Amino acid sequence: MIRRVLTALAALAVMFGVLPVQAEAPDAALAELLAQTRAKIPGACTQSDVDRLVRILCEKKIRIGVRDYYPLFAMRHGSRREGYEVDVGLAIGRMLGVDVDFIRVNAATRIPLLADDRIDLIIATMGHNTQRDTQVKFIRPHYYQSETVVVGPRDLPVTKMADLAGRTVCVTIGNGSNAQLVAQGARLMLFDEAGVLPDRLRDQTCRLAAQDDSFFAKYFAEPDFDARFEAKFGFAQVPWGMAVARQGSDELARALELIIQIFHRDGLFIDIGRLHSIGLRFLEQQRQVWRRIECNTADGSRNTACILPPLDAALKQTSFAPVVGAFEAWVDRATGIELTLPMFKTAPAWSVFKDGIAYSLILITGALAATLAFAVVLGAMTGTRSSLLRWPARVLTVLLQSSPIVLTLVIAAAVAHGMFAYSAAVALGAAIVALGLANGANAGQAIGEAMWSLRAEGAGDVGLFGKALSRSATQIVAFLINAAKGTPIASFIGAPELLSALTDITSFSSGRVTTYSMLLVFYTAVVMLVVFLCRRLQRWLERRPAGTAVPA
Amino acid sequence: MNGLMDLLSGGFLPRFMAGMVVNFEIALISIAVGLALGMLLALGRLAGGALGGATASLVALMRAAPTFVVMFFLLNAVPRDARLFGISFALSGVMTVALSLVPYSAAYVADAGLDMLRHLRAGATHGALLFLPNVTRAFFVLVMSSSAGAAIGVTEGITVILRQAEQLPVLGDRLALFAVGIVLFGIPLQVAFILIGMIQRHLGRAAEVTDEASA
Repeated sequence: MIRRVLTALAALAVMFGVLPVQAEAPDAALAELLAQTRAKIPGACTQSDVDRLVRILCEKKIRIGVRDYYPLFAMRHGSRREGYEVDVGLAIGRMLGVDVDFIRVNAATRIPLLADDRIDLIIATMGHNTQRDTQVKFIRPHYYQSETVVVGPRDLPVTKMADLAGRTVCVTIGNGSNAQLVAQGARLMLFDEAGVLPDRLRDQTCRLAAQDDSFFAKYFAEPDFDARFEAKFGFAQVPWGMAVARQGSDELARALELIIQIFHRDGLFIDIGRLHSIGLRFLEQQRQVWRRIECNTADGSRNTACILPPLDAALKQTSFAPVVGAFEAWVDRATGIELTLPMFKTAPAWSVFKDGIAYSLILITGALAATLAFAVVLGAMTGTRSSLLRWPARVLTVLLQSSPIVLTLVIAAAVAHGMFAYSAAVALGAAIVALGLANGANAGQAIGEAMWSLRAEGAGDVGLFGKALSRSATQIVAFLINAAKGTPIASFIGAPELLSALTDITSFSSGRVTTYSMLLVFYTAVVMLVVFLCRRLQRWLERRPAGTAVPA
Repeated sequence: MNGLMDLLSGGFLPRFMAGMVVNFEIALISIAVGLALGMLLALGRLAGGALGGATASLVALMRAAPTFVVMFFLLNAVPRDARLFGISFALSGVMTVALSLVPYSAAYVADAGLDMLRHLRAGATHGALLFLPNVTRAFFVLVMSSSAGAAIGVTEGITVILRQAEQLPVLGDRLALFAVGIVLFGIPLQVAFILIGMIQRHLGRAAEVTDEASA
């Protein structure tokens, strides 16, 4: 009797929501989905518009796109493949009861191959971001998560983002995290392939390199590499997703969602990850998530409390981006030249580009003014009769002439950073002083020599300096032009001029050839303008009466 | 300062000398290509007319092209798998720096070469010989300018100094190391300039004697 009453109460409680209803488990949902799909076989196998899951079960084979060379994750040795993603692919094949046909993909081909129906599934180190969400259907939960790590020599004092200001970091073109490095004031050295980064660290071409932690994991497993280098810090976490085609893959996507849920909950990803020595922190976190009651359900993969959002990688477009795109297409049609103008298409690139031009013009103007000022001061000192003033100026001139301009810039930057915290303005100021000193010393020497030659010809001290300026006009102008030409080198110490700006833009967009061609045209045009203005200055100096008073 | 002394005694000098060899190598390639191209341009300018005008414009453009930008242009615009007449010409770091200096060296040689050719036409042999010290001066300017390679990871003299400096936490030590670098770069440069000055004076005196004799 009591038992009947309790049973009735329990039934009422369930009916009125007093006790939680045990939701359908993902295992049961998967079994039901596969059973329903198999029930359509073999009839549906001859139909053309069936879901990919039907076709996979009909053909008893799934085509999975994996990478050929991504250490620990997917490697190919002859006909043998190994790695975390390879084993995950095989486990999925077992769950579906089909064979796995691995097909080689890389970062550029994985999405087109899926769109061309040459593969059914991508498992190829692909970060899930909002931009790719429009191209493929990502499967959630995610099967891994990577972050960008900055790697460098153990003795290098870098521990956080702020320490990167003014330092050069080697990166690969198109890496989504490059923009963040740029924002911290790091200078970027660009490479096409990540594979070269460890070697460039070893031969010291790069002091720091930034790349996925999953990429560096293999190298840290090597004792020699691990002894010399360490991961300084990580940033820009991005979840990795498997992906299927956006059309005709709904049931396949659903099956994969349930399979991945089960793999996370049961710790299979951790087992496979441990086998291949990859980082397990994310996988362990995910196991906890997918063991939770609210997540371990057939609808868990649609519960926002259980899944991770994609990385928001979409860059805001400029208002005139469509016009630029149309212009690029027109040039392509009319000339066959593939013109790419990334600096005009996205808001961050446009902002960096505008700032770059403004800073370049400030730098050129500043360098010209500084050259003229140092030339006048050092010229007056070198040409004076007082040895107390003359010798320090001569020593300084010889030192500056003996120092390559890169070294002079580095010294100026080191002194400036010793006095002030790093900033774009400090780098710009240091560059102006360095360029002014290097060129002004030479021009000053010419002025000083002109003063002495005028004295030797019997000229008096009255108006001597003006006459010397006239006589050394050619040299002054030559070094003014040299100063203008030398301004792009200021990017070496982190001055945010146009070369720096465009290097930053190309690090997170395409169009390198167009970008650097524009840069070359810009600087050459500016220098030619400076040459034109300097020639007018030279004529003015030479026309002055003082200049002709004592013929050379 | 102990840190600096430790570094200097720890194989810095051999590494720096090896780096300076790279500076000279870059300058040598650049002046060689510049001589070939520059002399052709000088002949074009000497010819006058449309060819002379076109050559003069080209020289003006080359003179205005900033080396550092040309270097980054070559680095980024030339594909890694570039081929010319079926021959691969993927540029190494050293070649990239050397070729980026060619516009300067060729324009310089074109100017100096034009002077030389005009002197030769006028029968002033000694004046024409001034071409040699002028080219030598350009060579040493190129040695100094080749330090731009530090920006693209070429292991030349300045790169060695900068890598060494990164290991010195104290600003004073770093500045002392930079001073060492200036001295090491400055010695060959100043010696070369003294020698060039002596040669020029010698040629000048010889030209005067020739002029007096012919008068």
